[in-house]
Amino acid sequence: MTKSKLTEIRWHGRGGQGAVTSAELVAQAAIGEGKYAQAFPSFSPERRGAPVMAFNRINPDEPIRTRAEVDQPDVVLIMDPNLLSILDATSGLKEGGTVIINTKKSVEQVRKDFGISARLALVDANTIAQETLGVLIVNTTMIGAMIKATGVISSESIKEPFEKRFGRLAERNIKALERAVEETKIGEWLEMAKAKTKEKPGTKGELSWKEIEIGCFITKPGNSVEIKTGDWKSRRPEFDFDKCNKCTLCYFFCPEGCIAKTKDGYFEADLFYCKGCGICATECPKDAITMVEEAK
Amino acid sequence: MATAVHGPGIITELEPFTPGHRACSGCAEALAVRLAAKAIGNNAIIVNATGCMEVVASPFPYTSWRIPWIHTLFENAAAVASGVEAGLKSMEKKGKTPERNIKVVALAGDGGTSDIGLQALSGALERGHDFVYICLDNEAYMNTGIQRSSATPYGASTTTSPAGKESLGQITWKKNMPAIAVAHDIPYVATACPSYHRDLMKKVAKAVATPGPAYVHILSACPTGWRCPTDDAIKIGRLAVKTGTFPLYEVENGQYKLNLNLTKLEPVGNYLKMQGRFRHLTEDTIKEIQERVTQEYNKLVALASKSGEKASPE
Repeated sequence: MTKSKLTEIRWHGRGGQGAVTSAELVAQAAIGEGKYAQAFPSFSPERRGAPVMAFNRINPDEPIRTRAEVDQPDVVLIMDPNLLSILDATSGLKEGGTVIINTKKSVEQVRKDFGISARLALVDANTIAQETLGVLIVNTTMIGAMIKATGVISSESIKEPFEKRFGRLAERNIKALERAVEETKIGEWLEMAKAKTKEKPGTKGELSWKEIEIGCFITKPGNSVEIKTGDWKSRRPEFDFDKCNKCTLCYFFCPEGCIAKTKDGYFEADLFYCKGCGICATECPKDAITMVEEAK
Repeated sequence: MATAVHGPGIITELEPFTPGHRACSGCAEALAVRLAAKAIGNNAIIVNATGCMEVVASPFPYTSWRIPWIHTLFENAAAVASGVEAGLKSMEKKGKTPERNIKVVALAGDGGTSDIGLQALSGALERGHDFVYICLDNEAYMNTGIQRSSATPYGASTTTSPAGKESLGQITWKKNMPAIAVAHDIPYVATACPSYHRDLMKKVAKAVATPGPAYVHILSACPTGWRCPTDDAIKIGRLAVKTGTFPLYEVENGQYKLNLNLTKLEPVGNYLKMQGRFRHLTEDTIKEIQERVTQEYNKLVALASKSGEKASPE
């Protein structure tokens, strides 16, 4: 039997960023080339802004029978650089696999900051998307980086799915993609890189059937306080106590309920929960709250 | 008594609905639940129909509720609440549990209320159970990906009422759920919006204190489904009220009372133009919507003046 040429891809993005759309487009392009392909998202109740995953399987020769989530990918795509600090990008990565990251950093910097010794493909997708599309939607740009790094599909075959999906906006998206193909920097696989755990990324200790209470009772009231929804945000509120008149409006209008009174009677957000919606900044009558981009 | 809608001071530190829930960033419905929970207090049992607020508050094995909470199906929040209330009453009567005046509160979305759960709700209201039913209205099935419900307003584009060359989006007018509740002759019906947080908390507290069935209809913006920036979720709710699209009023034993004295309604276009789901509307359609909104609002004003209650200035 010949070795299967199956390529498995895992996308990491945030809800609403277009990871699922990207995966679909890539699969359509592969099918257009006469290959077999799959695209599907991970199913979970996560919402806009939350870390999400999508998957691709592409096989040039034979139909794909497996339907499971990809936990040992050949390619990992990170659409939001902030995700790197909250998840293990290389989890389950196959030997010789590639990690594609949307970042302004150089190969050396990424290796140093995140300890990734796998093959790297880096692209400043934020800048490309902003300049070419005028909006910060990086999914099509990331496809360009993937084409450059893996060649699993060609940049010709992606054009038709783009046109079908985006209509008159296809042209600009193709431009962004082509720019990404040109600008993506590759850092080769280092010897010390070894495929690590087989654990699924983003899940921790799920309960077995023996541990679940009868009737699925949850016996710890309010235990969602353990969930760090602060990971979702791409910007955070900053409070200027000099302007604050302690009116309590931010406290009342916070959907997370994460704004609390400080000792001096001012108000401040608990960034462990804050999802960065910006309601407090909009509603503050004294403009004491400003939203700043999460620096990374 | 005049209802003050603004004012400083934390009313209660109580947070029966905790952070860590997985609602979208900027979800006004999560805010509505949080405020309502503050007003409900700790002495209550929540019955939650399927919908956004059930999914985001209970990713097993976590819960965002500090008080007893039970998940029901889409259609039977009111029926389960009836059962819980009747069971409690019976246990108290038999001395199996001390009398603590525990309040039963049913929560459901606009789909769970005005479409799927309507007959269960009607039955519960008619039987006169001592419970509060809160409808969290974000004007479509947002949990499953923005499908239209009967509470979706005219002209809104959703995935099952998409706007296009031949379609202007939703082609029916929003079902008037509060009026249906009023028609059951129950002691208390109110509409609220988290943008008017004090008003909302006051109304929920009043509903909880009312013996017999009470119905509170809360409009809450959904940035994901209404296609607006998360920052504007509160602003949009305020505009819904000020344009008369969603007037704030109470009906106590059949007596209507408008809560905000709006001398002049803002043009409805201000509200519609903030949202991507209405982006395709032409000036003619907006005019059509304006006429309908004014007409409905005047009906309410007439009902309120017949009831002789004066609205308090904003």
